[in-house]
This record gives sequence, C-alpha cells and structure tokens, in this order.
Amino acid sequence: ATSHSFFSSLPDTDPSRGPHFTGCRSREQETFRCWWSAGTFQNLTEPGALRVFYQTKNALSEWQECPDYTRTVENECYFNKTYTQIWTSYCVQLRSVPQNITYDEACFTVENIVHPDPPIGLNWTLLNVSRSGLHFDVLVRWAPPPSADVQMGWMSLVYQVHYRVRNASHWEMLDLETGTQQSIYGLYTDKEYEVRVRCKMQAFDNFGEFSNSIIVHVAQIPSKESMFPTTLVLIFGVIGVVILLVLLIFSQQQRLMVIFLPPIPAPKIKGIDPELLKNGKLDQLHSLLSSQDMYKPDFYHEDPWVEFIQLDLDDPAEKNESSDTQHLLGLSRSGSSHFLNFKSDNDSGRASCYDPEIPNPKDLASLLPGHSGRGDNHPLVSRSSSSIPDLGVQKTSGVEETPIQTQPAVPSWVNMDFYAQVSDFTPAGGVVLSPGQLNSSPVKKKGEGNEKKIQFQLLSDGAYTSENTARLLSAGVPPSPGPEQGYQAFPTQAVEGNLWNGEYLVSANDSQTPCLVPEAPPAPILPPVSDYTVVQEVDAQHSLLLNPPSSQPAICPHSPNKHLPVIPTMPMGYLTPDLLGNLNP
Amino acid sequence: FGLSLPAVAVLLVALLCLDPHCRVGSAPICAHGPSGCHIPSLADLFDRVIQHSARMHSLSNDLHSEFEQYFLPSKNHIGKIYRKCHTSNILTPNGKDNAQKLAREELTEVILKLLMAWRDPLFQLHQSMAHQQDFNSFSSNKALEMGDMAHELRKGVEKVAEKMRVLGMLGNSVTGLSAAEAMLPLSDSGEAMSDYELLYCFRRDSNKVQNYLKILKCRIVPEHDC
Repeated sequence: ATSHSFFSSLPDTDPSRGPHFTGCRSREQETFRCWWSAGTFQNLTEPGALRVFYQTKNALSEWQECPDYTRTVENECYFNKTYTQIWTSYCVQLRSVPQNITYDEACFTVENIVHPDPPIGLNWTLLNVSRSGLHFDVLVRWAPPPSADVQMGWMSLVYQVHYRVRNASHWEMLDLETGTQQSIYGLYTDKEYEVRVRCKMQAFDNFGEFSNSIIVHVAQIPSKESMFPTTLVLIFGVIGVVILLVLLIFSQQQRLMVIFLPPIPAPKIKGIDPELLKNGKLDQLHSLLSSQDMYKPDFYHEDPWVEFIQLDLDDPAEKNESSDTQHLLGLSRSGSSHFLNFKSDNDSGRASCYDPEIPNPKDLASLLPGHSGRGDNHPLVSRSSSSIPDLGVQKTSGVEETPIQTQPAVPSWVNMDFYAQVSDFTPAGGVVLSPGQLNSSPVKKKGEGNEKKIQFQLLSDGAYTSENTARLLSAGVPPSPGPEQGYQAFPTQAVEGNLWNGEYLVSANDSQTPCLVPEAPPAPILPPVSDYTVVQEVDAQHSLLLNPPSSQPAICPHSPNKHLPVIPTMPMGYLTPDLLGNLNP
Repeated sequence: FGLSLPAVAVLLVALLCLDPHCRVGSAPICAHGPSGCHIPSLADLFDRVIQHSARMHSLSNDLHSEFEQYFLPSKNHIGKIYRKCHTSNILTPNGKDNAQKLAREELTEVILKLLMAWRDPLFQLHQSMAHQQDFNSFSSNKALEMGDMAHELRKGVEKVAEKMRVLGMLGNSVTGLSAAEAMLPLSDSGEAMSDYELLYCFRRDSNKVQNYLKILKCRIVPEHDC
C-alpha cells in the first residue's frame, strides 16, 4: 500500500492522542465520510465541541464547515454527491472553535480513499470430485457490490478470494480476478472450508471489507476401487525386483562367467616369463632368447632383409624395368610424380589417403651416402643395434669418415636396388644405407673440399627432391662430394624452372643426365653399384668385414631396353646361413 | 526546345497522375464488401479505447508507486502540498454526475485536450528518467511505454470522434483539436515540474480520461441500463 492512501487504510483509534481524525473513506467514489475521535480530551466529547472544516484545493481556497454531521453516527462527517469532487485535493481540519485550536489536519483526494463495499451473493458449486474420492474442485460465484456503478464502469473492480480450512489460522489467497467467479482446486473431501471475497478498484490499492464467509463441504464417498492401488503396487514391486535382478546379473557378469564358464588356460612358453618379454631389457631378452632353441638354422633361410621393407609394386612391368633400389628410393622413370615411389599398398595399414609415406627429410638425407652422423632414425632399419643379434657391422670410426663406398653423385641412386646395403653406422647407433657401390675407389677424404659442390635441395615438403636437383646433381657427376658436405640446401635459382609437376625434364645435356629421364638416351655415366658386399670375414668383435664387389657393366636402369636384374649380386651379398652359423657364440 | 521521346512519356505519366482518380493510395481491404471482413462497430472501438486507457492508467499507477518508494514522503506530506498540475487549467468535470451532464462534444473535446496536453510532458519525463541513475531501465522503459500509449490513445480517440461525427452523433461544435495545444508542464512559479509531480498529475489525469471514456461510451452506445 502506498502512502497516498494511508489516511483511510489505518483506522487510527489511538486514545492516547488528542483529538484527531480516525479516517476518511469513500464507498463508491461519489460520496465520502470522515470520522474523528476526541482522544484523551474528555471534555471535548460533547457534540459540537469539535468541528470539521474542509477546503478543496481549487481556485477558491476557503475553509468551510462540514456539510453534514451524521446524526446517527457519532463523530462522523458526511460529504454527499454535491460536495464530493473527484480528482480534487481535500484538506480537512479538526478544530475546537471556541478555543480556535486546530487539533488535526489531513489532506487527500477522493479516488485514493475509495474502499469498495464487499461483494454480495457469494455461493459455490461443485465442479468435480477426483477419482480417489479424496479431492474436489469448486466454482465460487458472487456479485459486485450494489453501491458500485460497474455497469457504466465508473468503478472497475477486481476481486480477491480467500479460503481456509474451518477454524484454521491461515487464509489461502487466490489471484486477483476481474470477473465475478473463480475456481478453487484441490480441496479435501472430508474437510470444511470457509470462503470469503473482497474487492478493490483496479489500479488502486485499497481493499474493501470482506464479504460474509460461506462454508464449503463435500462428503467423502467410499471408493469402489480401493483394491486397485494395492494390485498396482504389487505389480510394480515385482517389476522392480525383476529389474534389480537383471541389473545384478549384468553388473556381476564377469564373475558369473568365471564361475559358470571357467577360462581355458593360456599357452605358456616354458622358461620364459611373459612379463619379461613385455617389459624386459633387450639384453636380457637377447640372452634369454638365445638360450632357447629359438634360433633354428633354417630360420635364416629366409632373407631377414625382407622383413624390413615392405613395398608393393603395382606393375610387374615396372618391376622388371627398374631395380628395386630405385623403387626404394623412389626414382621412377615414367612420369610418376612421386620421387620416392612408395606405391601404396592397400593393406599397409597407412592412412586412407593415397599419399605415400613421406619420410623426414632428415631421414632422406641420412639415407644418402656419406651422411654419417645424422639421422638416427631410419625408417628402414631398426635403430637398436642390439636388436639384430650377432649382425654387427663394423663400427669403426674409420668407416664413418671414409665410407667404404665412394659417395657418387646422385645418379648412383638410380642404380640402387630394392635392398639397400648398410654402409656404416652412426655413432648413435643408426645405420646408414648406401645406394650401392662404385667401382671407383673411395676418393673422398674427410675435410677435402670439393669445388663442385653437389648440393641437394630437399624440398620442404619432405620427401621429394626435384628432378632438377637430381639432374643437376647428376650433372655434377665428378667424383665424390665429401660425406661431410652432405646435403646442403640447394639454391633455387640454380634450378631451371620448376619441374615439380611431375614431369621430367628433357635436358639438353643429355649426355649428363643419366637415368632420370625416360626419353633421354640412356647414357649411364657411372658404373652401376652393387648393392651387396660379400662378407669377407668376421673379426673378433663379431663385426662383418666386407669387401668391395666386382665391377659391373654400366647399365642405366631406366633404359627401356635394358634390364637390370633386380638383385644382381644376390648370392654374393647375402649373409649366408652357414656364415651366420659361424657367428653364433 | 526539343523534347525527346522518353521525356514526353514521363510528362504524360505525370499529367495522368495529377488526375485524382489516378492517384494511388491505400484503400481499406474491406471497402468493397462486408463479407468476411469485420468492420469494428462503434461499441468495439469504444471498448478498445477504454481498455487502452485502463492499461495506461495502470502503468502510471505502477510508476507512481515506484517513485514513492524512492522519495518516501512523510505521512502528511502528500496531501499538504498542493500540486498544481499543468492541466489544471483545463476545465474537467469533477464527478460522475457532472460528466454525465456534459455534452458529448465537450466531453470528447476534454478528453482530447487532456491527451494532447500530455504529449510533450511524457516525452520529457522519459528523457529525464532515462538520464537519472536512480531508476533502473524498467522504470524508464515504462515511462516510454506510457508516452507511447498516450499517443496511441489520442489517435484512437480521434478515430472514435471521427466515427461519431460520421454517424451523426456529434454536432459540428467540436472545434477540437486545433484548440488543443501542447502545453508545457510548468508549475505556478514557472519552474519545470519534477518527475514525481509529473507522475502524480498523470496518474490523476489518466484516471480522468478512463472514466470520461466510460461515461461517453455509456451515452453513445446505450446498453445495460447504463
């Protein structure tokens, strides 16, 4: 309630005060009344001792006396229609005229002191009773107070219904209702309810008095379906138990399986602990395995090298025409755009893209001859030196410095076969493959600079070296770049154009270009390289001493008419089993 | 001067369109028949307008109550201070009987005058409330909404008056709206009224407008022993 209606809403009957107004109210916004009290001044209780004067704050401000002192009611001043002006400020004063004292004053506007009369004709009808017979709904109706002119709309009323269980202390309140009826839901059948209603003007705050209460009561009807809930409970209980059982079985499934279906014992290898196999060190494993009869001699009949490299060749024709080493290093001749021609094998387990595996440039670099000391991780050969028992390659530093095979220019790549030979070991234990062996003796000594630096550019996209560089490298054939030159970045401007669309350059210097170009006349410049070296002997440290192979005719593997056997020196290059048998401790 | 063909064509079109019959305007959809088209009757129009005024008054009451929470005037403070609203100059019937005795045209005119007088002050109120930090955005939005509603209500009442005139219910003595000018909300001393005073006055005036409309409807559209 806002303060502009304070005056009428607080029946101020405090007797300890002096004479004061106790309130002014209007019932229908057409007339109003004011009441006062003499308070503690008992000598002023005679009628006429205190008088009310009012003033309407209009243009004429003049104090006038109360137009009508109600005869029937004590201390009441009644303003009828003539004297009531709505939307006008009134001020009333309580004066004692003989003494000319103003005991109290109050100001208001009539529309703010309107308290409507209570609605009439409150009644109720039963809407429905719930199935269980425990609850019921009623519809409560009433009529607006007769004093309020609602037909014309001079007063627009809103109503508020209260109800409570009979003789309870707390009334339930429903929302304001503009109509003259409202439903009450959820009442209990065995209880008696009291319902009453009051109203106020819309958009004003003063409620009128409550109407008389009515009693609402519905007797409880014994339900015929009292058994119904019991059976329902039983059914739900059974279902719940079944669900619990199922859940129990599923949660304990493993244990039950073990109980009912005992597992078959797993096979074991005598003397070998499976855990050690999983977690043990390689030395232990090595000793362990070698103590077993695992290494049968016939195991070595298969070529161990085969296990490491898995390459599929789509074309049998291709296979015939180019050596495996070329495939290994990806030098294809017929317009393939991939330098490293790892043809995709569908069951290789790689990603679904066709793109072949692209080894790191570092790895590539390390593949190339003379690249010692770098690239510990070769994709082709496993890293650990101890994983290949008893196949130690000579690890002397001398080998690193001066590779056994000379480091020819790139074209020697061309002659690389399917299998690559280990040329030396890096200090870190990696294996360096050599593309093959040349006839020429190892020329390069460490530290010797070569004017004609063959520079390789490994393109940033990793695996591919452009044909240009290969060509130029081939052009720069002369003897050998040092191993330390390794592979420096190739200046792009030296490359003629960009052939990197997969085409091969038909070079003017046909004589220089070896087998890169299919159309080029096959002019092998370099002698072919043998891929395998005969193991000469095994020294005390279980290292293999290799000897250079015999020279071979220079055959360009790309020459369409020539055919280079895939593994020319097979019998010579392999470690025969009986040789290996000598290595067994 | 030689006129090219396109220019001539343009001129012809322009000339044609000067013809009033050629003028393109918006025609009401229901112009050609009552079937399937509901033209609101005068009673409906009155109902809508009265409903609108009730909402406006309710809004003004809410805003006024919010204001009182901030200012918390003392018990007797409200009544004692006599607020002269800027619309006090407009003669308005101060009771039901007086309003019923007033002629329809005058009553309509009073309504329109009141609404017109509040056009600018409501806008000013919204501006003032929006700038102050005391009020949250709800209050200033309510003030804006209130101003819009007053504007719409005025338009609505003008339409109703137009319809009444067409139906012959109003004489031609409604000089109307030209006489109703927008007033500046100034108090007696000439100072601008505060927001609280504006709200107090508008609350009172919106209640007046609502009741006048109801009385007018009852007289124009007789129903329910009005």
